[in-house]
Amino acid sequence: MSLPKGYAGNTATIDLTNNEVQVFPADNFFRDYDIDPRLWIGGEGFIAKILWKDLPEAIDPLGPENEIIIATGPWTATAAPQAGRAMLGCISPETGGFSSGSFGWYFPAAMKYAGFDVIIVRGKAEKPVYICIDNQEITIRDATHIWGKETGETVKLIREEVGERYEGEVRVFSTSVAGENLVRYAVACGDATSCPGRSGGGTVMGSKNLKAIVVRGTGEIQIHDPRGLLDASYNAANKFVEEEPTLKLWKEHGSTTSLSAVANWPLTGTSLAENRKEADIPIINNAACLNCFAPCYHWLQIKEGKYAGTRQLGGHMTFLTVVLRNIGISDFDVWVYLERLTQELGIDPASFTMAFSYAVDLFEKGLITTEDTDGLTLRRGDEEFIWEVARKTAYRDGKLGNLLADGVAVMAEKLGPEAKAIIPQTVKGKPSLQRDAKLQALIWSFGALTNPRGGDWLRLHNVWELAFLPENRDTYPQYIEMTCLELYERCLELLDMPDDMKKKIFGDPPKVDADWVRGLEGKAQFSVWSEDFVAMFDALVTCMFGAATQFMMVGFGPSTYADILNKITGWDVSYDELMKVGERILNLERLYNYRIKGWDVKDDRFAGKLAYEEGTIGIYKNKLVPWDTILQEYYELRGWTKEGLPTKEKLSELQLDSLLDEVKLTG
Amino acid sequence: MTTCTTYNTGATSLSKARLHIARHEGHAITGIDEEDDLIFQALTCQQCDKPYCMYVCPTGAINRNNETGALTINYDRCIGCRMCMAGCPFGAMRYDPDRRQVFKCELCEGDPQCVKFCPTDALQFLPKNIANIPKIDYLARRLIELREREVKENNVGDDKNVTT
Repeated sequence: MSLPKGYAGNTATIDLTNNEVQVFPADNFFRDYDIDPRLWIGGEGFIAKILWKDLPEAIDPLGPENEIIIATGPWTATAAPQAGRAMLGCISPETGGFSSGSFGWYFPAAMKYAGFDVIIVRGKAEKPVYICIDNQEITIRDATHIWGKETGETVKLIREEVGERYEGEVRVFSTSVAGENLVRYAVACGDATSCPGRSGGGTVMGSKNLKAIVVRGTGEIQIHDPRGLLDASYNAANKFVEEEPTLKLWKEHGSTTSLSAVANWPLTGTSLAENRKEADIPIINNAACLNCFAPCYHWLQIKEGKYAGTRQLGGHMTFLTVVLRNIGISDFDVWVYLERLTQELGIDPASFTMAFSYAVDLFEKGLITTEDTDGLTLRRGDEEFIWEVARKTAYRDGKLGNLLADGVAVMAEKLGPEAKAIIPQTVKGKPSLQRDAKLQALIWSFGALTNPRGGDWLRLHNVWELAFLPENRDTYPQYIEMTCLELYERCLELLDMPDDMKKKIFGDPPKVDADWVRGLEGKAQFSVWSEDFVAMFDALVTCMFGAATQFMMVGFGPSTYADILNKITGWDVSYDELMKVGERILNLERLYNYRIKGWDVKDDRFAGKLAYEEGTIGIYKNKLVPWDTILQEYYELRGWTKEGLPTKEKLSELQLDSLLDEVKLTG
Repeated sequence: MTTCTTYNTGATSLSKARLHIARHEGHAITGIDEEDDLIFQALTCQQCDKPYCMYVCPTGAINRNNETGALTINYDRCIGCRMCMAGCPFGAMRYDPDRRQVFKCELCEGDPQCVKFCPTDALQFLPKNIANIPKIDYLARRLIELREREVKENNVGDDKNVTT
């Protein structure tokens, strides 16, 4: 088969145990892994196929057999909008199952310009090393002198050592001290800027003695219809800017738009938009990954107080939410500092603050004592103390550091039934980003139940629901001088979704209001549609910060993605075909987790009792959330059995029949 | 930059773009307590009035397009000696090792695509006699702002505060 345009053309496998590097052309890669590129596209799709073949049984995630897979797609590094992304894949050290995470800035593009669509790292080096990819030349270099360094210094040292000819030429994807010390939720970070968060990739790199992957790429990517691509991208971007009502807010608030402005988070008290205004942190500049016109990075500088002078390129919602919810501080300076600190240490801010918050609960209930905390009194709200604990955790220092470094699920297991009962929102061993699943709108939390990488909400971040929490449904539209209903009507019309799907989700005729937000109607269907959509653009690979319903109300839909992808590759994929790619990937991941971990309906559950009790605030105040009802509806819409497994018919429909020889399905 | 290469070569690349963006990603290479900056600055061929690249070319391969004002390369005449690279004071003449030829910004037939596609209007294409106006106008307005703030915060230059 001739290689479609848009791919870089090579795959590299690097075996650290045997010090072996292999580079082979994409055709061989596709043949070896049974990949028809049009059915899997790249990124998330390639990762699922690679793990399916390479690791057919459960492994020790920290053992040498685990893999670090970095996969780009045909979209990456082209002139298409938001072309800076790639996916990292591995077996999760938190869950033992499938894991992946999206990251951007400029490493993914440089990797493709160096000629690689996919990099697979296996084995374990004897001593610390980093992998240097200088276009087609790959070397494994000693990293003993860099081991133990935090992120910023690592990037600086490696760039100097490799010899940058101009700043930003060499791109460094590195792990930090948390990864080296095998904190279970360590993240890797690209150029100290963009991390495949929640993937555990930093831990797996640490377990391999792999400090960093470094790339210099000066090549080019062939495009099927270059002028057509430019026109399509130009039109798409213009349409986006004209139609997306949240864009103005987005430039001010980045990914916190949905929380600080849209959802008026927190549900009571001063809205974060106001809070932020008060903090008066100047945004010196907006910055973005390759070809992005909706920049989420804010170059922030803290002006006054004890963090005066601290600068951070970021300003993302996860940090804001976890500071507020888990460590009990509503101060934007602290939020910015936490973002910088966790990036430097390489720890996942969600998993860490959830573990911290859980430890405080346990401490207050007397289930752990000062004997377990090296004499420290655990408490929320004291940021200096929390920074100290974060450092202890990243370095696995003392009893407390080691306790927190294993994460909430291991803590619960270790401390017995009383501790287990109060475990914060966790699914399949991975915590979400805040304690109580009932606090926010339904789809967001539901996403944690079905996410293939465990209890993480990110694949179903649904702004349609978050925007109109009944308590504050006019908070957000007022910033763009619209009423809630006007905005909804406009977005319903513009949303790139077939009419029959709109009817299934929003009713017939489609209508969105507070009743829709409160109710169950259409929520399972919306979840199915969004999951397929997310898996699809994670395969392209492009960014969720431009995607319809995820962080944007209108954004890009499948039609735009199909149009641009066809210009890049020369294919003629349709809306439906593209959505099928997403569904195919989701089904393979589901089956993969079943195959190696046995995960089915019994694992699509929140740990502990909290999620199954009445809510205290928000939509579910004094009410139970019918998780099982919506879950069964979701299975049915997916064409899965009541046990939550794909049926033979479904697999056949998705051209996945061959998997049936490799995995035994019950029923 | 991706637009530049896609438009001009049919393939996408950053290193072969005809404009260069100098970057300084201060946060990426500093420790948590160090102050640093984030800088992006674009530069490309100035289409000089006295073009050294054209003067040093031994085969007359570089000519001015009178319609667009751009200095363009005639690849039928170019012998690949790279004297133009030596002659250009700005490093705007570049070399593509794959195509084995020099290349420079030729203003995309008078409609620079980088400008057209720039989502934030950070790049603009203006006649050279007024190209400085937005810059100086912005700075003049900034001066007014700063002066007003100074008056407000410190009463500096406020007539009521002047003692005689």
